[in-house]
Amino acid sequence: MIRRALVIFVLVVVAIPLMLAMAELPPHGSPDAPPQTHVAPYYLEHGPEEAGAENVVTAVILNYRGFDTQGEVTVIFTAMAAVVAVLVAGGAGVPAERTAAPTTTPVSLIVRFIVRVLAPFIVLFSVYVILNGHVTPGGGFQGGTILGALLIALTLIMSESDARALLPQRPERLLQAAAPLTFFAVGMTGLLLTGDYLAYPHSGPTIWIATLMLTVVEIGIGIGGAMVVATIFRTMGADR
Amino acid sequence: MIAALWHNLDYAASVILFCIGLYAVITKENLIKKFMGLNIMETAVFAFIVAIGVVDGGEAPIMGPGVEPPFINPLPQALILTGIVVALSTTALALSLIIRIWRQCGTIEADELREVE
Repeated sequence: MIRRALVIFVLVVVAIPLMLAMAELPPHGSPDAPPQTHVAPYYLEHGPEEAGAENVVTAVILNYRGFDTQGEVTVIFTAMAAVVAVLVAGGAGVPAERTAAPTTTPVSLIVRFIVRVLAPFIVLFSVYVILNGHVTPGGGFQGGTILGALLIALTLIMSESDARALLPQRPERLLQAAAPLTFFAVGMTGLLLTGDYLAYPHSGPTIWIATLMLTVVEIGIGIGGAMVVATIFRTMGADR
Repeated sequence: MIAALWHNLDYAASVILFCIGLYAVITKENLIKKFMGLNIMETAVFAFIVAIGVVDGGEAPIMGPGVEPPFINPLPQALILTGIVVALSTTALALSLIIRIWRQCGTIEADELREVE
């Protein structure tokens, strides 16, 4: 009883100052609010011709704030490495009764059939989302997640050895690191072309080079993201 | 205050969502439920920051023939894309740690874990 009263007290103490702060904010959707008047108009005005991407969100992520995104892809790669380290490295010392015969239900025929029929279309859609990230909503992370979901679905309907054979073992390590590696390669290309790491050629006749570099980064993020998501899932499911 | 909140209903909704997540983190003993609460709190923050970028009558910030201002602010969306990916990473790491705890201790209830020590 005291515990419940304490929980309600904590929630109220958190909620009331937050609500007061929310009431003080500029009205939702007003075009004159501070977030809309500083750097965003510059991005909206110059983004398309300066950054080589009609989708300004992509221009911000990969061009104006490329360093941020490079750190981000390093974070997901590190998370995958940490998951593998936590789950695979410490396999010993498990009490015997907990490793005993896991009961797995076989996947129904309908699920297997539907996943097999849909797989090519899912691949097509993810490639579309990745390659069109600079002109339509989407991009490397979104398309990569779709591809990763497909890999997870295929892992679920196949036996473990079949799923392993889906992707060869040797380039797998390289593919998992595809996103940071592509970022590094494109950053070095920018260094050669413009003299600054991760800088893209500015507006002018060479803007297509910037678009090409953005597309290469998107492909790298897509492949790397898909592999990371699938690897995390497989590592967690390995001891079912 | 109520009248001001009525204009900022999106923000108020994210505060409520945040409190739901906080409730789960405080009261649930199951570690996975605790972490789901943390994820709900993350989602509330994401929803709040994306809502900041909304402009009335704005279009998606994708340039091309036939689109005209006002546009939605692209900056919060870009920041939150980063945030979502980092949230995915922390969720994956936390779940793997919970799996490890289950293997070592045979339970993921926080109160039972305190007795295991």
